Amino acid sequence: MRGGSGAGGIHGLFSRCGHVLSVDVCDKRGSGEKKDKLTSKFFEHKTLKGFQVAYVVFRKPAAVQAAKALSQEGPLLISTESHPVKTGISKWIASYEASIVDPKELKAEVDAYMQAYDKKMAEEEAKAAKEEGVPDEEGWVKVTRKGRKPGLPRTEAANLRVLEKEKQKRARKELLNFYAWQHHEAKREHIAQLRKKFEEDKQRIALMRAQRKFRPY
Amino acid sequence: MVKDLEGKACEEWLSSLGLFSLEKRKPVGHTNLKLSNQGQEGAKKSQQPCLCLDVHQGQSILQNSHFKDGEGYDAVPNDKLSGHLDHEDHEDIAQALRARSCSWVWVSWDELCLLEGSPEAAEEAEQGPDAPAGGAVRRGKRAAPTAAAPQPAKLSRAELYKPPTSEELTQLKETEDLFHSSLLRLQETSFIPLIILVASSGLTPTVPCPSCAGTPELAAELQIEELLKEVTLKETKKKKIDVFLHEINSLLSAIPETPETELTDQAWLSKDMKVPFLQVPFNVKGRFHFVPPAELKVVGSYLLGTCVRPEINVDVAVTMPREIFQDKDNLNQRYHRKRALYLSHIAQHLSQKKLFGSVRFAYMNSNHLKPILLLRPQGKDEKMVTVRLHACPVSGLFKPSRFYPSKNNVRTAWFIEQNTPKEGATEPPTPHYNNSILCDTVMLSHLHFLSNAATDFPGMKDGVALLKVWLNQRQLSKGLGCFSGFLVSMLVAYLLMKRKIVKMMSGYQVLRSTLQFLATTDLSVTGISLAKDADPSLPVLDDFHRAFEVVFVDPSGLVNLCADMTASKYHHVQFEAKCSMEILDDRMVDGFQALLMTPKPMLRTFDHVFHLKHVSKLQGTCKKMQLLNELIDWGGNYVAAALPFVVSLLARGLSRRAQLVAHSLPQIPEWPIDAEPPKHKDVGPLTFGLLFDPEFAASTLEKGPQADHPEALEFRTFWGEKSELRRFQDGSICEAVVWEASNVCQKRLIPDQIIRHLLKLHAGIPESSISYTGALLESLIKTGKEAWGTGEEAMVSVVCSYDDLSRKLWNLKELPLTVTAVQGIHPALRYTDVFPPVPMKPIYSFHHRSKHLLLPSVGKPCPAYITPLKVICHMEGSGQWPQDKGAIKRIKAAFHLQLAELLRQQHQLVCRPAVTYTDVYKDGYVFRLQVAYHREPLILKEVVTPEGMLKYQDTEESRQLELETLHLPYLTSSLHGSPQVGFLRFLNLLATFDWKNNPLIVNLNTGLTDSDCTEIKNKFVAARSRLPVMFLATPKDQWSSMWTRERPSAQILQRLVLLASESLRALEGQLMDPLSDQDVKIVFRPPLDSYDVLIHLNPNQIPRHLENVDRPVKSVSRGVVKNSSATNILFPVVDYDPVQLYLQELRGNNCPNSNLSLKIADNATPPSLSALYSKNTTLPFRATGNTNPVHLCFPIVILDAFDDLALFFYDKHGGEVIAVLWKPLSFQPQPFKVSSMKGRKVTTLNNELVCVPNVEAILEDFEILGEGLVKNVEAHTEKWTI
Repeated sequence: MRGGSGAGGIHGLFSRCGHVLSVDVCDKRGSGEKKDKLTSKFFEHKTLKGFQVAYVVFRKPAAVQAAKALSQEGPLLISTESHPVKTGISKWIASYEASIVDPKELKAEVDAYMQAYDKKMAEEEAKAAKEEGVPDEEGWVKVTRKGRKPGLPRTEAANLRVLEKEKQKRARKELLNFYAWQHHEAKREHIAQLRKKFEEDKQRIALMRAQRKFRPY
Repeated sequence: MVKDLEGKACEEWLSSLGLFSLEKRKPVGHTNLKLSNQGQEGAKKSQQPCLCLDVHQGQSILQNSHFKDGEGYDAVPNDKLSGHLDHEDHEDIAQALRARSCSWVWVSWDELCLLEGSPEAAEEAEQGPDAPAGGAVRRGKRAAPTAAAPQPAKLSRAELYKPPTSEELTQLKETEDLFHSSLLRLQETSFIPLIILVASSGLTPTVPCPSCAGTPELAAELQIEELLKEVTLKETKKKKIDVFLHEINSLLSAIPETPETELTDQAWLSKDMKVPFLQVPFNVKGRFHFVPPAELKVVGSYLLGTCVRPEINVDVAVTMPREIFQDKDNLNQRYHRKRALYLSHIAQHLSQKKLFGSVRFAYMNSNHLKPILLLRPQGKDEKMVTVRLHACPVSGLFKPSRFYPSKNNVRTAWFIEQNTPKEGATEPPTPHYNNSILCDTVMLSHLHFLSNAATDFPGMKDGVALLKVWLNQRQLSKGLGCFSGFLVSMLVAYLLMKRKIVKMMSGYQVLRSTLQFLATTDLSVTGISLAKDADPSLPVLDDFHRAFEVVFVDPSGLVNLCADMTASKYHHVQFEAKCSMEILDDRMVDGFQALLMTPKPMLRTFDHVFHLKHVSKLQGTCKKMQLLNELIDWGGNYVAAALPFVVSLLARGLSRRAQLVAHSLPQIPEWPIDAEPPKHKDVGPLTFGLLFDPEFAASTLEKGPQADHPEALEFRTFWGEKSELRRFQDGSICEAVVWEASNVCQKRLIPDQIIRHLLKLHAGIPESSISYTGALLESLIKTGKEAWGTGEEAMVSVVCSYDDLSRKLWNLKELPLTVTAVQGIHPALRYTDVFPPVPMKPIYSFHHRSKHLLLPSVGKPCPAYITPLKVICHMEGSGQWPQDKGAIKRIKAAFHLQLAELLRQQHQLVCRPAVTYTDVYKDGYVFRLQVAYHREPLILKEVVTPEGMLKYQDTEESRQLELETLHLPYLTSSLHGSPQVGFLRFLNLLATFDWKNNPLIVNLNTGLTDSDCTEIKNKFVAARSRLPVMFLATPKDQWSSMWTRERPSAQILQRLVLLASESLRALEGQLMDPLSDQDVKIVFRPPLDSYDVLIHLNPNQIPRHLENVDRPVKSVSRGVVKNSSATNILFPVVDYDPVQLYLQELRGNNCPNSNLSLKIADNATPPSLSALYSKNTTLPFRATGNTNPVHLCFPIVILDAFDDLALFFYDKHGGEVIAVLWKPLSFQPQPFKVSSMKGRKVTTLNNELVCVPNVEAILEDFEILGEGLVKNVEAHTEKWTI
């Protein structure tokens, strides 16, 4: 389907086949699962782009049959004279108007969200404080950054740092030029590397020549 | 000491020098070099003497040394050593060697040329001193070509790890340091041949070591070798040329004599033969008859082997026998006319022969006194070679003293055609005339001189060839007064004589030393001479300086080789040499590319360029400046006579403003023998280049001396009526000239005013003859009414307002967290906006009003576009910030609300908060404040793995935020110089840069070190296929090239490069041709016929219509008035551009083309698309796609997108057309799938259901989506049919 109609227009179109429970617009054909309703007017809206798919949910199965039969009746028009779909200049003006935010409304929503957030955080903190040092059913104690003995943060960077340190420690202990074969191996490897580099360089020069890189004018 | 050495084995001898211990060390480099060079024979030879250490002019002291199977060696020092080395010398050598850890040494006493005789030996000599370094390079150069042809596949494991032979081992080791690094870069520190100089008597060294001239660097590099291969003459061609020369020789001696006639009686020449000489005045005494040449000699570069392609010239000196001449032939152009007649008879004769493809005349270096005959072979070889016949007198014909620079040889009375000379008047000296005759007399001796210099000096040949390429690329080597190849050879010979160059040097070192000399020596002040023995009767340098601007005297002490050169031209050469030396010393720059591979035309060298359209006006100049003597000297060539005076006039007038005033070299093309010789005015327009000192160029005031000083009069006469008395702040009353200029754009053109004024006042050149192309391009960005400025003033006022706002933000009270930084990221705030915003106030009645909102009105034209000036406002980090992305967004929104509120309360600013920003209306501008929290990008990146590990991953959102808040603010640039030359250089960079194989490193504020650059390059090469097609590295962004990660795509880049090169060509054509209409806008007008669909827009709904390339004739009211004082108003319509909104709907996303593959391969472009890209060229590149990195997304559902079907092109500066290009891949029928039905319809093809794009519906959609904006949709269906 295409057209700037949105769910409303489709709702109107299909109500002639039966009672429409809901219209769900999504950008891909999917499992048809319902997503969570967006709670915010200002945040987290996803802009759906391009051609989309809509799922129309009827109350009765019969309506689906009726809808299937619709295609024989010729194209369905979303934009009618009574309910025109805005396009072009009028649409952009409307969306410009819609983009202007009422500060009070926004403030109210932000405040509400932050209150809830603060409350949530406070609860979590309280829970964490309560569980501090208390072993769970299997007897494990969760180490947190707070408490008496803060553990290492569980981040990738910290993990890598530790691994690096371990590696260095091991390298310090290892003797690289102890056995004769180690000597040989190192030399062999070095020569192989040199050979490789030499070959690569030769190829690169050849490439440059092929591209006429050396013709001044 | 020497005695001690006698009878010792080489090993011991060496160890006593401290070179080697007696352990298992050996001079590997040297010995193995020999081995590998001689290939198969190496093994055999290893039993033969192969170490040769040259001590005394090519004789070996270690003749009997043996190399035994890589184990060791022994050698017996030669007896000749005795008496030359003493103990101290040995100590010196040994010490130096230890310090350099060098493995071998050449010791030489008298000269640095070590070996004479066989070329083989010479080669060894070259390799000897720097065995580890030079040897590798040389062999690399040889080895590469053979290895190149069949591309060797990657070495297999077995090959990689097979046991190495000893030669290979050494070779690899040598290569380790050098080969890799010297591959891509010209100069890489490596060993210089360690030359230890010991004076023959054992005194201190007297000969400068080459390393004194510059940093110790070894030159010979692979790139140079390849370049030389390209430009030097091939052996096979040489043979052909030799045959051709022999044939000419036999033809010339067979030309019959002619009876003697008066010089003025030229009836004996056939009618369709014109004498190649401007015979003005015609009457002259003397008689002429033709006698076959006494001698024919090839002279010049061909014999020296320094010919450089593309123009291979062979100079042949034809000696005119003594019988032709009479007494006093030195006077009044008699010699020149005989010479011309001599050549025309030869030409007449040769033109009948079938041997020649063409027989034509030319002026030697465009000097009209010196015609030469050009002969080219028949058939396909015609382009191969030009043989140039120079006629010259037999030696001893003229007494040299007659031609001293102070002597007169052209009588004034004869020249101005008066019968009786004025009594008592002294005849003026005619140095240029004299010089032109002297040149002919010394041709052969110059050849001998140069060939002596070039003996045993392979580097000279290479060096001269390189220098010639260098000069050619800078357009310095052709025309009257050029820095010719011959001159360069003589200069190298001079440096050799002065021992600034030694015969051991390679081509690169010769190039470098010569440039260094040029950069530091001003021959217009301190001339140089090649004359060795000071003959007291010869003129001294001062005599030459009085007669000529630039002085370089030849070995005979008579000829000034730089006679025709103006001081200005020499300074130009000097300037180029200085630049080149800087480049060579700068390790970041690829010197090879910059010096030898990049053409440097005047247009891209100088800040401003202007043309003297009609050189015939210089006749008037000669009259006005009273240059009769110069005219006589120059044989009536008024261009050459007036040029130095005009240039010095300009230089004086521009004084501090210009670092360099240069001129193009007058050039006269060759002409057929049956045409009249070209006149002086045929040199065409003369071009002058000005290089400015940015500090002074635009100053409006020229302050002169105090009114009561004697110099005041001089100042007044120089500036004429422009000079007036002015009182200055310090109380002094001075003469001064004030130039009118009200804005930066006009100030940039003050030199234009000066030049026009001075040329008119002193040189009598009318303004109409001057075409100043300093600022032609600027018309494009002038914004109509604002006094024709180019926006600098507007941007200054924006920045002032911004500074005030940021101060207010810093000091805002009652904000819970303080503002830590305010950064403007709009281009206008870094002075780079194309059309900077101007203060605006909305007209209420023009808009639709709903409550307290101003909205665009449907029935009226779209309101003027008001750019929101984005300002990032960093807030203090604090524990109060939540660590959750949703919460951070809310807090930021709260900040936006609060900022708006506080600014309104404390500063009475009109603000309009939104979720992600707050718009502030201030001084007629709209600033868009965005709050930033430095940890937010990090929080956006946080990902918790299933194991509970916290990881940081780049996400689209975090990347965007980082670009906006972190990276964009760093990109402030300080551009200076003339805008036009900047633009041209930019186009040139785009067009010529090898994006595929090189990263473009922008070393802002030299934030990258040498090793950084190398690392970037290496990593780039290693990871090329994964990197963006256009890779930019800056100190802040070394690895990721974040600005080009998503676009341009390969196709767009290809198109861009093509457009840039075509635009550059078109622009340079326009700018260098003062006689054309110079419409520079052609490169900004897109050719629309290459697109599939054109969507024409309604100009009323294009808010930036006024910025169009061709400014609309009729403009409509857009509901704003210019006003910066309004404070309490309804908020204007901001950032509303219907065209951009329309494009967003069409493209369906913010980054067009991002779904195209970024593969770097020539075949990545689909065939038909690539064909289109390679055609048709002058689309403005500013029209390609969407340059704004981030778009405002309205909270609406955009339903349509044709991104996968087509590319959309639009010029955001007021374009009236959106051009659409179908993507050919999407147009191929695809199998029916429900998911791929977007914009497609089903048809049957070969009884299969397939879907193809539903073009009719799509075109209809274009119209529906852009209702009110789209005027009509034009489909170019001839290109596609569905």
